[in-house]
Formats: sequence, C-alpha cells, structure tokens
Amino acid sequence: MIISAQLIFITFFGLAAVWFGIVVFRTYSMVRSAIALLFSQTALGALFLTLQAEFLGVLQIMMMATEMSVMAIFMVMFMMDPGGLGKMDMTHQKRLSIIAGIVTFIAAVAVAVYIDWGPITTVNDAPTIQIKALGIELLGRSMLVFETAGITILTAMIAAIAVAIQPKGNINNNHKEPK
Amino acid sequence: MSVLSIILLIIFFSIVISYVLVLIQHWQKYRKIQLSAPMYSILALLGRESVVPRKADRLFFELGPALLLIVAMLAIAVIPLSPELVMINLATGALFLNAILAYVLVALIMAGWGPNGGYAMVGGWRFLGQLVAYAMLIVMPITAVAMRAESLLTTNIVTSQVGMWNIFYQPVGFVLFYFASMAMAFLPPFDLANASGELAGGLESEYSGVRLLIFRLGHILLVFTLAAATVTFYLGGWLGPYLPAWLWSAIKIVLVAASMFSIGHFVPRIREAQMMSWCWKIGIPLALFNIFLVGVMVVVFP
Repeated sequence: MIISAQLIFITFFGLAAVWFGIVVFRTYSMVRSAIALLFSQTALGALFLTLQAEFLGVLQIMMMATEMSVMAIFMVMFMMDPGGLGKMDMTHQKRLSIIAGIVTFIAAVAVAVYIDWGPITTVNDAPTIQIKALGIELLGRSMLVFETAGITILTAMIAAIAVAIQPKGNINNNHKEPK
Repeated sequence: MSVLSIILLIIFFSIVISYVLVLIQHWQKYRKIQLSAPMYSILALLGRESVVPRKADRLFFELGPALLLIVAMLAIAVIPLSPELVMINLATGALFLNAILAYVLVALIMAGWGPNGGYAMVGGWRFLGQLVAYAMLIVMPITAVAMRAESLLTTNIVTSQVGMWNIFYQPVGFVLFYFASMAMAFLPPFDLANASGELAGGLESEYSGVRLLIFRLGHILLVFTLAAATVTFYLGGWLGPYLPAWLWSAIKIVLVAASMFSIGHFVPRIREAQMMSWCWKIGIPLALFNIFLVGVMVVVFP
C-alpha cells in the first residue's frame, strides 16, 4: 500500500478528532470542554476535505463553530463549577457509560467493516460538479426529507420560545418583586 | 505566476492595505497624517511588558489573539484581488469565507474567557450574542449573491457583475451585508465586545504588550478581509476601467474600510438588545425578501 499525502492527512485529522474527543472528558473546565469538542468536529470537517467532499467539509467546519460556542455559554450558565477550578467530579454512572461506549464502538466498527459500500471510486468529480449535483439532489428526491427535518426543528424552536416567555396575566401572584 | 509568488504577493498586498487602514484610523482620531505612526505603535507595544493575569486559562489566553489573526488570514485565501491574484479558488469559496469567519467568535470567546477577568469575559460572551444577531445577515445576502452568479466560486461572483455591480442589482443585500460585516469586525457602533467606555476595553482590557499587538493586528486584518469580501460580493471586485485590476481592488477595499471606520464617529454605540431586535425583526425579513427578489430578477432578467 502506497502511503500518499492524502492518507497521511486522513490519519492526522482522524487522530486529532479522537484526541480532542478524549480531551473533552479529561478537562474540568466547561469552556475548554466545549472548545475541545468544537476542534474535534473541525478536525472531522478537515477529514472530509481530504476525502474531497469539499462542500460537506466546509459546511461541517462552519456549523460547528457557532453551535459549540453556544453550547459553551449554556454549560457555563448551568454548571456549578464552569471554570473547573474546584476540580468537581461531574461524572456518574461510570460502569454503564463504559459498557455503552464499548458496545457503540463495536457496533460502529462492525457497520463500517461489514456493510456493502458498493464500488469504491478512486477519482472524485470536480468540486463544482459535486456541488451542482448536491443542489439538484436537495431540490429533488431529498427535498421531503430535508423539509421534514426543517419543520421539526422549527416546531421545537417555537415550542422552546413558548415555554420561555412569561405569560401576560401574572399567574404567580405569590412571587412579587419587593417594592 | 507560481503559487508561491501569488501567496507572497497577496500577503504583501494585505500588509500594505492594513498599514493604510491603520493610518486612516490614526487620522480619524488625531486629525493628522503621520506615516510612521503605525510603526511607533508596533514598537511601543513590543517594548511594553506583556502582563499575564493570575489564574489565567493560559492556553486560551495565548491562543485567542493568535486564532483571530490566523482566521483573518485564512479568509483572505479565497478573495480574488485580480483574475490571477487569488490564493486558492475553492469551488465553495463564498461558503468557505463564511465558515472560516465563524471562528472569529471562537477566538474572541477564548480571548474573553482566558484572562479570568470580568470585563474580558463579559466582552467575549457579548460577542456571542452579537453573532446570534448578525450571523444570518452574513449568510443570507451571500446566498443571494451566489444565486446571481450561479456559483460559489468567488471569481465567478466577480465576473457575474460585469454588466451591473451587485450594489445596484441587490442594494438591500448590500446594506445588510455591510452592517453585518461591521458587526462581525466589532467596529463602532457595534463594538460591544471591546467597548472602551463601559467595559474598560472589554476583550482588550487584560491584554498588553506583544499579545495586544497580535490582537490588534488580527482585528485590522479582519477589517481588511471583510472590506475585501464586501468589494468582491457587491462592488465588482477588480472590475473597473483604465487602471490595473489589483489597483481597483486596493482602491475599493480602502474606501469600504474607511467608510466602515467613519460611521462609528457619527452614531452612538448600539445596545445588545436593540441590535438583536433590529437584526431579527427587520434584518432577517429584509434578507429573505432580498433572496426572493433576486430569485425573480435572475429569472426575468438573466
């Protein structure tokens, strides 16, 4: 097997993704944890780029930056020790999570190894052609799938806002601001 | 031209234009043109002690400003300064620009969290709120621009404007993108993250010496990048008569950046809540209207 530049990059970004994934659980700081997860996902995006899936890679790199940063502020808001200065142990159900982790890992590897991926292409289409094909796919056969997902997320957003806003008539009369 | 010479030329171009931008900033503050002023600032910052706060998150403290600089430089890679003068003409260029600039947020959150100081942290999280406001107003106008060019290649986007620049073809998109860019570059009146008056410098408050220098360098390069993106998407990039292509790019970028600097002198700093409410209640409907309008126009006047 010839070690090509592509293979080296794939290995590098793959290991980086795994390493940052481990860092997520090895730090006590919530912000460090969130940013480590972000860089793990960014490494995956870079991995897609080396696999010549340019659109997917760039999209992954773009989406994760915002998502993980928003997650970071929520973790800081809700966790008792966001800076990790108190070294508070926030893990629980260790045996269950170890078993679940190992089972999921074996399942994922089994899927990767035993599934029939079809013929493997050695040369991809040029990125411009890929993007055009993707656009036509999104507005054709896959439209229903994406629209369903979009509507589901929209519903969840509306529901979240409806839960968050205070009702107009003050229901809770016992809780008054001191004058 | 070889790839290396193109890269070196673009870096040289970026440095020269950024120098001019600093001169403009200096002139707007002190009302005098002093060609050596940026050099003196650099020397002064290099000479000063770079204080590290006690109990800082050292990793984020050091990485924040560096990441800001790296992000601004990476974004320059897809911007065409002339037909040949583009580092890498990605098929997803317009999307890549947006993707990389999302990491401005990550850099600023790191820089805000790292020093373990109140003002800096508030500044960092404020910028996150600012992103929630402006992010859609960067993506949606770019969508309309790509719709007209029928391509995400930045060079195609420029050549699609040969007949008419996008500023005239889709003025609504231009206005939204222009102000969203200013918000992304945290220039006044959107300088919530490093507000000098109310937050004592915010993100910049805990940085000093060489680290502050890197932060400011990243900031000015970010302004350059966003001005260059505005020129590419709306002002016809390198297009123009008589003068060489790269000179047109340079003139337009300097003018756009100068206008971005100037606006802050005439309006007060916007409040976070106002910004959020205007961006979501006025900006996003306008951006959606812009996409619809451009869609109709692309079909009617191809």
